[in-house]
Amino acid sequence: MADQDTIDLVKDIDVDKYKYGFTTDIEQEFAPRGLSEEVIRFISAKKNEPDWMLDWRLHAYRRWLDMVEPTWAKVSYPPIDFQSLYYYAAPKNVAGPKSLDEVDPKLLETYAKLGIPLKEQEILAGVRKQGEKSHLEEEGGTSMPVAVDAVFDSVSVVTTFKEELKKAGVIFCSISEALRDHPDLVKKYLGSVVPQGDNFYAALNAAVFSDGSFVYVPPNTRCPMELSTYFRINAKNTGQFERTLIIADKGSYVSYLEGCTAPTREETQLHAAVVELIALEGAEIKYSTVQNWYPGDKDGKGGVYNFVTKRGDCREAHAKISWTQVETGSAITWKYPSCILRGDHARGEFYSIAISNGRQQVDSGTKMIHLGKHTSSRIISKGIAAGHSDNTYRGLVSAHRKALHARNFTQCDSLLIGDKCGAHTVPYLEAKTSTAQFEHEATTSKISDDQMFYVMSRGLSEEEAVALIVNGFVRDVLQQLPMEFMAETQKLIGISLEGSVG
Amino acid sequence: MTTAAPAAVLTPAEMAIGTPLPSRRQEDWKWTDLRRRIETPYERAAAVADAARVAKLIAADPLAKLPLRRVVFVNGVLDRTHSDLAGLTLTTGAPDLTEDEPLATMNATLADAAVTLAISGAADRPLHLMFLTLADTPAAVGARVHVSVADGAALHLIESHRGVGQYLANPALSLALGKGAAVNRAKLELEDAAATHLAIADMTLAAHAVLRDFTLTSGAALNRQNGRVTFAGEGADARVTGAYLLGGSQHADTRLVVDHQVPRCVSREVFKCVMDGAARGVFQGKVIVARDAQKTDGKQSSHALLLSEQAEFDAKPELEIYADDVVCGHGATSGDLDHDHMFYLMSRGIPHDEAKAMLIAAFVGEVFDGVDHEGLKGVLTAFAENWLATHTR
Amino acid sequence: MLDIKNLHVKLADEDREILKGLSLTVKPGEVHAIMGPNGSGKSTLSYVLAGREGYEVTEGAATLNGEDVLALEPNERAAKGLFLAFQYPIEIPGVATMQFLKVALNAQRKARGEKELSVPDFMRLVKDRAQKLNVTQEMLKRPVNVGFSGGEKKRAEILQMAVLEPSLCILDETDSGLDIDALRVVAEGVNALRSPDRAMVVITHYQRLLDYIVPDVVHVMANGRIVRTGGKELAKELEARGYAEYVEAAE
Repeated sequence: MADQDTIDLVKDIDVDKYKYGFTTDIEQEFAPRGLSEEVIRFISAKKNEPDWMLDWRLHAYRRWLDMVEPTWAKVSYPPIDFQSLYYYAAPKNVAGPKSLDEVDPKLLETYAKLGIPLKEQEILAGVRKQGEKSHLEEEGGTSMPVAVDAVFDSVSVVTTFKEELKKAGVIFCSISEALRDHPDLVKKYLGSVVPQGDNFYAALNAAVFSDGSFVYVPPNTRCPMELSTYFRINAKNTGQFERTLIIADKGSYVSYLEGCTAPTREETQLHAAVVELIALEGAEIKYSTVQNWYPGDKDGKGGVYNFVTKRGDCREAHAKISWTQVETGSAITWKYPSCILRGDHARGEFYSIAISNGRQQVDSGTKMIHLGKHTSSRIISKGIAAGHSDNTYRGLVSAHRKALHARNFTQCDSLLIGDKCGAHTVPYLEAKTSTAQFEHEATTSKISDDQMFYVMSRGLSEEEAVALIVNGFVRDVLQQLPMEFMAETQKLIGISLEGSVG
Repeated sequence: MTTAAPAAVLTPAEMAIGTPLPSRRQEDWKWTDLRRRIETPYERAAAVADAARVAKLIAADPLAKLPLRRVVFVNGVLDRTHSDLAGLTLTTGAPDLTEDEPLATMNATLADAAVTLAISGAADRPLHLMFLTLADTPAAVGARVHVSVADGAALHLIESHRGVGQYLANPALSLALGKGAAVNRAKLELEDAAATHLAIADMTLAAHAVLRDFTLTSGAALNRQNGRVTFAGEGADARVTGAYLLGGSQHADTRLVVDHQVPRCVSREVFKCVMDGAARGVFQGKVIVARDAQKTDGKQSSHALLLSEQAEFDAKPELEIYADDVVCGHGATSGDLDHDHMFYLMSRGIPHDEAKAMLIAAFVGEVFDGVDHEGLKGVLTAFAENWLATHTR
Repeated sequence: MLDIKNLHVKLADEDREILKGLSLTVKPGEVHAIMGPNGSGKSTLSYVLAGREGYEVTEGAATLNGEDVLALEPNERAAKGLFLAFQYPIEIPGVATMQFLKVALNAQRKARGEKELSVPDFMRLVKDRAQKLNVTQEMLKRPVNVGFSGGEKKRAEILQMAVLEPSLCILDETDSGLDIDALRVVAEGVNALRSPDRAMVVITHYQRLLDYIVPDVVHVMANGRIVRTGGKELAKELEARGYAEYVEAAE
């Protein structure tokens, strides 16, 4: 049987093929190791923050001190010594985001190596000659420039296309800048979706977050280009705690993408981000993530602990928030991008591909909280477990008593590759009104022998066959990604599963 | 996220029963917080001496007229007078339950007259375990019965749970199916409207055993049933089904764990839950497939039909899978009656209430139809018709 | 028998008018065909007459034998003799077809003050009607419409009609999804029910069905109204020339 080979090959799984494991040798400035009020004051002072912001952080810190780490997720790891981490690391001479000409060439090089060109002309031209069409365009897709906010360890190093966006009235900058230039907006919305004391990691983030992206799209505006943030952890023993805040005002639309990588290191690295989305009446936010933090080596040494809180609030009627995530990296993922469907007719979506290999542990899913009338939500989750990994979908769909005619459809599929991994599904459904219609389906299986045989009988190698079938398995979710990132992601899926079939 | 320290101080109810009660801080109890819900200090029930009262209660059992071998437990104790024990292998004591969980702890405290029934060959008549509780004052009752079915033996096992008064019934049944044994089990939970029913059904299947299991949940104010099916031998097959017919402010929670420890077993779970009034139904099903349990075929589904706006349903259909060559899945739905179905029936002249009753009967019919005993099916259908007659307006 | 005057109907949760002043009179013994393009409101008319929720009558009236049909529950309309053969018959898992027919027939008889049919009489009636429509005993054992092919569903609709013996039959796109053999069987079943005291309204997009069920009157419906009425030759004309001119004129 063809599958015996697959199983044998899985045993020799090699996850040391992480392509982004290099480090950038650059002079950096750190806050003193460990966490204390002094460190928080240090961070706040570094960023010239207003007093209210410092108070906000200190309040979060005091809440955090009284909290304990959550243990309900199906992940296990040695206790984290929060005092051994650096909570702030920044490339020297980068006090804040600069114009491209001033950015350290080493940083530009780093991002270029990661495939993220920051120079606007390069982005415009792409890798092709001017006038030449990309294959995406030929396939009928459109290719447009993407504005990037690049975050290196604790600070945003550059944000591109700011001027162009400004013309449309869109604010896209680092959250440090936003605190300086748009304090009222930040004050109004920060913590309004994920309060300081929401959970252990959110509280930690609120206390020490150093940077992240800020987006405000004014009423009735369609953001003219894709926005994206590229997160890079570089420094050793450094936690990354970015905070993203996106506000889509009435009738507006924005599509946002984040990408993440980190160097190969023997020590684990902590990443505890918070993302807050606010969609006002009739607004739509599409948030896509391609998470490829360093997953650790094949024995589970090193890797990023990705403990993030992402939540969107469809605050007013007809608002829509759509999360799409491709999770291939991190040693441990603890992540539940959620939607609060507050406004009547609001809609939430969650599309997820989570691939685990080696010793990775993924516990991810979503919450759809139906509060308004005629709210609807859709969850499509595709989990693929290989190697010795554990892959858990955990989700909640709830309809409040007043959420009349709420609708949810959930489809959760898991695929197991090899017999040393685990795939788990832990959905919670809570219907507090008879008028809510919930439909949940889940399946777990392996790639069928028949499928493999059929595809290989058409001349594909085993590895190609698996890649083809897995890409088919995740297609419903892939289609949700912005066109620019679809091809990239398909490639990434192939790389993530490399070694599972040879 | 703060986690609470374990409750140090016992509530009066806990002190009366003699064990701590689980609270919503325990994952399996998040929708059924016994610590909060059970306030009455239930005293240990006294043995019931009044044979006439018992006889009257037995006669009123909906199964009384069926030709069954009856074994009666009154307030947790085997009632030899009213039981038909001739030719039955009956011993005292029972093995430990598989899972050490709060209801098992409670049962160990409350049940002190454990009984084991050994079945071999093909039983001449269906075995009817009748659990009766008579409580003049709030009483806690624990029953413990183990049924072991020998290799190749076949058994129809019917349980009924009824009573009078305000009481907490904590029956624990364990069922061991030998190699190739076949058991059809049906449970009718028809406790007093003031009762609390906290039950355990712990079922283990040896190789090639076949289990067909059905539970009707319609009595008691507060109901929690912890079921467990353990596949201990290859090639076994279990179908576990249930129906809820709940109204008023009834609360029923089923926690069902299907544990595939060995390869090549098949499990099916189908639960149909009907909630009227302000009733709340909960279904927590978990299918576990161990590393070695290759070629497992496990599917579960739970479907809720909410007849009133105040009714609620919560579900947690869980899969925990460590073997790759498996086909597993679950489905869960919740909603009210399909409006198109109602319109179609009414457009053919069927009045509203009748149409509604037909659709509800059809909804639970799928699990009723699986009951492999005509007499019992008749009793169930009549019960459902009667229930629907009062819940279709 | 059926008298519709200036009927205006909109969707209940949308501000969109579907029927815009439709009038139609059907006398006992007559067969009327209503033809029209998609979206002209044909199915809405059938649903409103049968009493489906989701529509709001804003103006006008519809009476059945002089009685306001719009004020009645769907089952009351059925008991008064109105029958809708659905374009898309609904599948109802768990409800056996025979039980469904028996409950429906007896509910109607009860509402009309007639005696319930005995089980043997009922069985005989169904068996007789089923045979004529090529509906097998096996189909009758299945749940209502569940697992039926498109053609079987349509035959089952006509079987229900034959068993319930309504006085006004509305057939909504009964020909859709039928091959020529199935169409013939269905049409024969319908023709067998034609009688001096029974009226029929046949809603169809294509003329094809009307080769088999020959109408007395043909109406053209466009944009929520009847825009032309003629004899059976009108159907042929429509087949040749299409609906375009009526659609344009109605807008």
